[in-house]
Amino acid sequence: MTDAAIALILAGLSAYLLFGGADFGAGLWHLVSRRRADKDVIEHAMGPLWEANHVWLIFVMVMTWTAFPPVFADVMSAHWVPLSLAALGIVARGSTFVFSKADPDQRWYPWLFGVSSVLTPYCLGSVAAVVATGGSSWLSPTGLYGGVLTTALCAYLAAVYLIWDARRLGDNDASLRFRGYALLSGAAVGLFALPGAAALGVRSPMIWLSALAGTVSLVLLLRRAYLSVRVTGGLAVVTVLWGAAEMSGLDLDGAAAQDAVLRAVFIALGVGALILVPSMTWLYVLFQRQPRSP
Amino acid sequence: MSTVALLTDAVAPHAGAASPADYMAARQQMAFTLGFHIVLASIGIGLPAITLLAEWRSLRTGDAVYAELARRWMKAAGVLFAVGAVSGTVLSFEMGTLWPGFMDKYGQVFGTSFALEGIAFFIEAIFMGVYLYGWDRLSPRAHFLTGVPVVIAGLLSAAFVLTVNSWMNQPRGFKLVDGEVTDVDPLAAMFNPATPVQAVHLILASLMVCGFIVASVYAVGLLRDRKAGRDDRYNRIGFAIPFSLGAVCAPLQVIVGDWAVRFVADNQPAKFAAMEGVEHTQAGQPFRFAVFEVPNALSLMLRFDAHATMRGMDSIPVDDRPPAEVVQTSFEIMITIGVLLLALATWWGFAWWRRHHSPGLPWRPWFLRVAATAGVLAAVAMEAGWTTTEVGRQPWIVYGVMRTEEAINPNPGLRYGLYIVLVVYAVLTAATISVLRRMRHTPPVAAPSDEPELEPAP
Repeated sequence: MTDAAIALILAGLSAYLLFGGADFGAGLWHLVSRRRADKDVIEHAMGPLWEANHVWLIFVMVMTWTAFPPVFADVMSAHWVPLSLAALGIVARGSTFVFSKADPDQRWYPWLFGVSSVLTPYCLGSVAAVVATGGSSWLSPTGLYGGVLTTALCAYLAAVYLIWDARRLGDNDASLRFRGYALLSGAAVGLFALPGAAALGVRSPMIWLSALAGTVSLVLLLRRAYLSVRVTGGLAVVTVLWGAAEMSGLDLDGAAAQDAVLRAVFIALGVGALILVPSMTWLYVLFQRQPRSP
Repeated sequence: MSTVALLTDAVAPHAGAASPADYMAARQQMAFTLGFHIVLASIGIGLPAITLLAEWRSLRTGDAVYAELARRWMKAAGVLFAVGAVSGTVLSFEMGTLWPGFMDKYGQVFGTSFALEGIAFFIEAIFMGVYLYGWDRLSPRAHFLTGVPVVIAGLLSAAFVLTVNSWMNQPRGFKLVDGEVTDVDPLAAMFNPATPVQAVHLILASLMVCGFIVASVYAVGLLRDRKAGRDDRYNRIGFAIPFSLGAVCAPLQVIVGDWAVRFVADNQPAKFAAMEGVEHTQAGQPFRFAVFEVPNALSLMLRFDAHATMRGMDSIPVDDRPPAEVVQTSFEIMITIGVLLLALATWWGFAWWRRHHSPGLPWRPWFLRVAATAGVLAAVAMEAGWTTTEVGRQPWIVYGVMRTEEAINPNPGLRYGLYIVLVVYAVLTAATISVLRRMRHTPPVAAPSDEPELEPAP
């Protein structure tokens, strides 16, 4: 059961990186891009109401403190500074996101949205790197490296996803620009990630899988296979997380909660999924439907 | 402050423990961020409920005013939901960054409650999206029905998260063997004896806070109308629906409040002694409130026996006493406001009952002026009640089992976290209010171009 809990936490983290990470990256492009058309695509592509992808982060936290309480306590207390900054970044992002929709004239909101989109993944990534390598501080070179790498991975993912989103909205110019961003950021992240992995002594086969998926993605981008690159690009990013998880070697068995607890949580999640999955699907279908005319 | 001095002594023996300043800052940060979240969460529970009431009336009568109110309330609910979601996320972080000792030892005991709360919250979010985006994509009846899960899931997520707090007051569902937690029973922890009373008390309070806050916006509008010589049905209905919700809950809350006091008197004598200002254990306790004192009344009220013996603070070991002044003052604030809101609710009920004889009765200016403050008052009462139960539990984070100072993050510098949080939340509050005000001034149905004018008649 401990293994199932670890698998669920890793799945939650992966989903957060793939979906939430892309949201962060979109915020970064929103900050640096000067074109209104790009910003329109980004605003359109993101969640409708609230940053729903943070639900993955909350899932990971609740699972960790329930299934592996000492791990949660150690990580959160040791890294309280970057994690508190990340929490405030989530506050700033989530609120400026809805505020700028409700009050489009206020210039501060988009700016804060962009800045917090960079700050949050940086802080989370630096903590992840420090935990994975058994380091001490987010201010160490490892922490710095992890933060920059995570932010760059998010930017790359967002650019890859936005190519197709722009095309669906019928903006081919923006689509081509995002393709350019994806090629540039993809190449840059690859060149940044491999030496880093070597320097940190990562021996995981995941790194090779990541490098392979990243290279395939670049080829797919050049050949304009925008849907398949979403899969390979995501794989290239998520394998970095899996490699780091493999490396961390936390003593999870000793930290696991009792079986009665894990059983209760699994039942709750199972019942919850029975309700959540159909309602999610319905929400998605409803989005695609055109409004009725009066 | 004597509390600080007391804590210094208690903390000092631990190597590398948090400094008293950091300890107080962590408690204040938790109190402040929770206090902020409570108001938003209350609105998140109540606003969908009053939106549905308005939409139900609109379906029944075909009256466009109800439909317009429902639409506006749900849009405001969308913005407030987003702020509530992020302020709730902060709390999950703080559980670990501020109270790792608590999470380390007991996270597994109450973790299931949080898992359930998370699921309920996610259901609420999904149906909120369905409801907001379904205005013109679903039949009016189906649309109304999609709002029902929002309300139910909102109530459930509040109840689930509250079970953690009630557990902190009445820890159950585990055994301590040589300081290690064993035999965890998540359901027994969740359904501890304090859960029913606390859940009902909190849910009624949140409906009151939301009802009175929304109503006060329209009370101000009605007073403005009167000055300008207008008569606006929109503002009157906008006032009547939420105020009636608050008014229905107010008398119920008095009954539940009585239940809560009796529960505390039986189960947490230190908190009770602090709330009622009982210093000495004696027979025939007088009832003290502010400057008044009625002989034997407390014993009579609580035990139905004017000579019953009741425990005072002197029966509690000095190290286990909560800061009594804070608890008593906040308890008295809550009671005072509760009585005032009950009076307002009574007047509203009377005026509504007599409205056919004298149509102006519910809209008397003096009443609207007082009603305009009811929202802030209800929120203050809620914070005061929260302070009563939280500070009254001190020095325990888990009553009788773990002290708050055992739970705190030992790393230095927590107080700087508090300062930053205060600044960020001040800006967040100002921005939220400014955005909501702006939304109020946009013309009706200020919506994307793809929306038709108003809800089509069924």
